[in-house]
Amino acid sequence: MKIKKDISKKTDHSENHFPFIESLKQENQGFRVPDGYFDSLSPRIVDEIKKQGNKSFIRILIPVVRKPVFWAPLAATSVIAILLLFAIPAEKVPAVQITDEWTELTMAYDASYAEEALLAESHAIDNELEVANIDFMESAPITGMNEPTDEEITKYLKEQEIDNDILIPN
Amino acid sequence: MSEYTDNELIDLFRNADKKHYAFNLLVRKYQEKIYYFVRRMVIDHDDADDVVQNIFIKVWSNLDTFREDAKLFTWLYRIAVNESLSFLKSKRLRSYLSLSSPEALMIKSLQDDTYFDGPEIQKRLTGAIIRLPKKQQLVFNMRYYEELSYDEISEILGTSVGALKASYHFAAKKIEKFVTEV
Repeated sequence: MKIKKDISKKTDHSENHFPFIESLKQENQGFRVPDGYFDSLSPRIVDEIKKQGNKSFIRILIPVVRKPVFWAPLAATSVIAILLLFAIPAEKVPAVQITDEWTELTMAYDASYAEEALLAESHAIDNELEVANIDFMESAPITGMNEPTDEEITKYLKEQEIDNDILIPN
Repeated sequence: MSEYTDNELIDLFRNADKKHYAFNLLVRKYQEKIYYFVRRMVIDHDDADDVVQNIFIKVWSNLDTFREDAKLFTWLYRIAVNESLSFLKSKRLRSYLSLSSPEALMIKSLQDDTYFDGPEIQKRLTGAIIRLPKKQQLVFNMRYYEELSYDEISEILGTSVGALKASYHFAAKKIEKFVTEV
């Protein structure tokens, strides 16, 4: 308690206890600044504030982008999209697609196009014939093609030694 | 240019049209005081320049929310104290990579400083202040150079006047011992 009081007594007049230190007091302590420093300080601070203002939008975004909540779904979606791209075969596009008469005429002058066009035409004719054949088979009367004549039936029955009378109605 | 009071500057700053003008006046009013306060703490001019810019950028960002029951200059000093101590802390972390203590680096920087032109005794005095614990250094600088009252220092540092007086006493004693020992 006594020590505390002594310190308090001493420190109440602490400045007066150090006359040597007081005698060394010098404004700015010998520190100097470059010429014109204080004239340029305020404009430089204002410039810095403007720069930081421009960066603030990016600063807001950076923490969001850094979070897995932001980029994990994006990454997962990208991976799925790439997998789908390779897994699903692309639809075949015909090599030559003749859209109108003018294109057809123009392409006719090009040997490679003409060849492909002829090939395409040939395929088209084959397809048409095939369809026509099937139609023909479907529309042809069965009796007209396979029904035996009376002579053929008689001959067949004779060969099989079957009585011809069964053919004659009563 | 007529000198505005702190309250007038704050009112002017809160007026959107005059915000830049008010800020410019505020910087010009306090820049030298704040600069030399920071310079005494960090020693190097370039470091002081960086810290002072950060202080005024913080002022710009927060002056709108400043409560007028506190004094503006007390608030400014509080920001300056925080920024200076943060800077010294980061410097201490960086100094772990080198073998020298930050204080030794600051004394070396003082010896080589082209922007220091005081006599040798001033260099010794500054060297002695650098060696003090940071709290004593702050109290000594505020009382000895800034000539702030203990009440004002108490408001800035949030320490009792009695503790500040004791802190100043021990700081001055150490400095005197260091400067007079040759």
